[in-house]
Amino acid sequence: MAEMKNAALDTLLNVLKTSGADAWEVTDKTEKGWEFYFIRHALDQHRAKDIRSFGVKVYKKFDDCLGSARAEVPADASEKEMRGIVEGLCKDASYVRNPAYTLNKPAAGGAPAAEAEKIDLEAISGDFIRTLASVPETATEDLNSYEIFVSAVSRRFLNSEGIDVSDVYPSSMVEAVVNARRDGHEIELYRLFKSGTCSREQLTQDLTEALTYGRDKLVTSATPNLGKADVVFSTDPARELYNYFIDRLAADMVFRGMSDWKIGDAVAPENMTVEAVKTLPNSSKNTVWDAEGAPIRDLTLIDRGKAAAYWGSRQFSQYLGLESSFAASNFSVSGGTESAADLRTGDYLEVVEFSDFQTDAITGDIAGEIRLGYLHQGGKVTPVSGGSVSGNVRELLSGFRFSKETRQYDSLLIPAVTRIQGVTVTGA
Amino acid sequence: MNAPFSSYLTGIAPGLKELIGLLRKRYDYVSVLSTDSTGFSVSISQRAKSVSRETIATERGTVVRVYRNGLYAEAAFTGFDPANVQETCDKITGELDAQLRLLSAAGVKPYETGILPDEARTVFAEMETGRLPEEEDISSLVDRLSAVSDKGMEQGQAEGLRLIDCMVRASSTHVCKMFLTENQDLRQSYVFSEGMCAGLVAGEERTDFAYTSLSGRKGPELFDNMEDRIPKITKIAKDLVSAERVEPGEYDVITAPDVTGLIAHEAFGHGVEMDMFVKGRALGADYIGKRVGSDLVTMHEGALCAVDVTSYAFDDEGTPAGDVTEIDKGILRGGICDALSALRLGVKPTGNGKREKFSHKVYTRMTNTMFDSGTSTLDEMIASIQKGYLLEGMQSGMEDPKHWGIQCILDRGYEIIDGKLTGKVVSPLVMTGYVPDLLGSVSMVSTDREVFGSGACGKGHKEWVKVADGGPYLKAKARLG
Repeated sequence: MAEMKNAALDTLLNVLKTSGADAWEVTDKTEKGWEFYFIRHALDQHRAKDIRSFGVKVYKKFDDCLGSARAEVPADASEKEMRGIVEGLCKDASYVRNPAYTLNKPAAGGAPAAEAEKIDLEAISGDFIRTLASVPETATEDLNSYEIFVSAVSRRFLNSEGIDVSDVYPSSMVEAVVNARRDGHEIELYRLFKSGTCSREQLTQDLTEALTYGRDKLVTSATPNLGKADVVFSTDPARELYNYFIDRLAADMVFRGMSDWKIGDAVAPENMTVEAVKTLPNSSKNTVWDAEGAPIRDLTLIDRGKAAAYWGSRQFSQYLGLESSFAASNFSVSGGTESAADLRTGDYLEVVEFSDFQTDAITGDIAGEIRLGYLHQGGKVTPVSGGSVSGNVRELLSGFRFSKETRQYDSLLIPAVTRIQGVTVTGA
Repeated sequence: MNAPFSSYLTGIAPGLKELIGLLRKRYDYVSVLSTDSTGFSVSISQRAKSVSRETIATERGTVVRVYRNGLYAEAAFTGFDPANVQETCDKITGELDAQLRLLSAAGVKPYETGILPDEARTVFAEMETGRLPEEEDISSLVDRLSAVSDKGMEQGQAEGLRLIDCMVRASSTHVCKMFLTENQDLRQSYVFSEGMCAGLVAGEERTDFAYTSLSGRKGPELFDNMEDRIPKITKIAKDLVSAERVEPGEYDVITAPDVTGLIAHEAFGHGVEMDMFVKGRALGADYIGKRVGSDLVTMHEGALCAVDVTSYAFDDEGTPAGDVTEIDKGILRGGICDALSALRLGVKPTGNGKREKFSHKVYTRMTNTMFDSGTSTLDEMIASIQKGYLLEGMQSGMEDPKHWGIQCILDRGYEIIDGKLTGKVVSPLVMTGYVPDLLGSVSMVSTDREVFGSGACGKGHKEWVKVADGGPYLKAKARLG
């Protein structure tokens, strides 16, 4: 079987080398996955998958221009079919001529070595199943349903410049729906957790928190119309706030004019530092190299409030004058000087559940309907729901404060508590 | 012309039927879904151009569903080899048996479900299309879309806009799916296309994104007149750069057809997906036969109730496409349902069992979700409002089927004072509310209606599939922030 697998790749490589393409890239990706779906704690169904694909990109050079086109070549394609696809890509690539750029070359000192890791789908799946079966439910707060996805992803990347690297990593996801009920009324909260493998302690802690929020959502009052207010973000939606800073330094956003941030500009609170980091504990994105074969490394993107570096794909990074860049996958935000407790003083609205909190990376607009918030006014705490928060990150920067304590959401490590002054709160 | 069915799928069909036969020795029910969908995506802007032979729906692979002892299981794989069917069979059973051993050791009990029916049926549907994506002249398409982008820039500048870029995207997919069981042989082939034209415009203090979209169960001929979109893009860009913030509060509003579609999708699209009934996750289950909107509200859902990106002949479980009346004159009549959920609820499936790709599980999913038309004109609706907004441009939405909260993030609100549009624009807008209140407040419905299929829908925050929605203009009361 392994020989057959390699034979298919060898055939594809031979087709590419004889296709007339001036350059090419191939990603041979296999995902083996186990999935388990539960209603309450009864098994709805179980699934297995073994998916292999060849991601192919070909390039054609024209004076100072470069054209490219990509396709997914089926794993069971015949040589004739492969040749037809690749010939088509060569034609397609000649129709879209962009300013020239070069492909990544093998890293100095040899290719980065992937850890030879054997990923045990059965063991990881078992950890998840047992963890979710033992979440501390009560008579009034429990799990409605949950889905467990465990994958072992193996990738091999090759290009015409001589790169030939591979890595293997685990990638897991749990979707859970929490119910809480009181006096005949029932509500639900939704959670989607991503990670490398199962962290029993973290998953239990996160679901316990959700059960608590579910209980509180049952006793909410309507959110009053607060006009401009201090709003605290301390749960998953806070990721959206920090993704704004990360996205606006992505090379394609900058090159396309969707972000006007220049290196050295003051773009964030002056104590904020944002870094692309090679790994985070148990992240589902702890890969050794990016989709174009560039080694993943640590890189400071925002240094104490000032834009320090762009990040992203080879094409757009080179257009911005960067010789060496990469598409980062893990990020860390630090620099908070206040404690979470200090940020939770005075009057404020802490929103822990939104319908769908969003930040628009182009405009900076933020918006979300409140599903559960805690209104702190005059020393009194009132659970509230309904209504919405809205505003614009750019306009709110002067009142943007964040804690020194941090919290990790898979591939993003951010301040545990963020407080923003002057957010518009529309009542229910 | 008709979209021809995949020769690849035709070629592997005998091997897959052999696989079904082998698996039937161990399982009480076996079905196979195989897909072979191809297409292209072209993206053009002043700054970068790209071509890909991938779209949201391109794929090739197979998923096998089996049933035994009250429990369903699936195995999805690529690279089916008709010459090694026994090897494939052994691999599937070996993997699923290993999972069962783990589940048994963990003390997991199954959610007992009955067996799916398998009545003899044959379908061979090659649907009409103007052109095929695999035969499209990409060189010519790139030239035409580039001309649209250039013209958009020229017109924007002529009208005094600081247009940073004009982006044009076009994608077209030729979908081929084959559903096989011991007694069924269903094959379908159709083409859908979708496009987008957008302007990135700089205002005094912010950059905005003005866009329009188009879609249809059509071939690449959909993109033949994309330059017609430019005047609309220019107008939207002008509106956005002059927009002010809305004063939060409750207003009389008129929702344009795209916003109407978003409400349909979020309110009683997700709200009546009946796999949520099985889990007790939807309030709708308790409201069948009860009032959830005004007399003017009638809503349909189904692959047959409009012709757009997801108007297929059968769903991913082999159930024929349907047309469900979800709300009839304000009364909730029923929901949409995949085949397994239908078994569990004791109802008939409605043709709404869909997968993101062959490698994903089936869920109950929307197809075309539409409000019916009414009897008013848009002018009459505007004239009836003392102070309010005409809402246009949907960005995103989210629902809470358990609590009937709804969130719609919208692009623009056009102020109406004393029955007339004032020319003042507010943006962006977050519209929130309680679904029965929102639908209960519908007091006028326009005679016309449109369908929009350029978006994708997630189940929770995953499982993205193509959907379409729309309807007429609706007059209602809504909270804006």
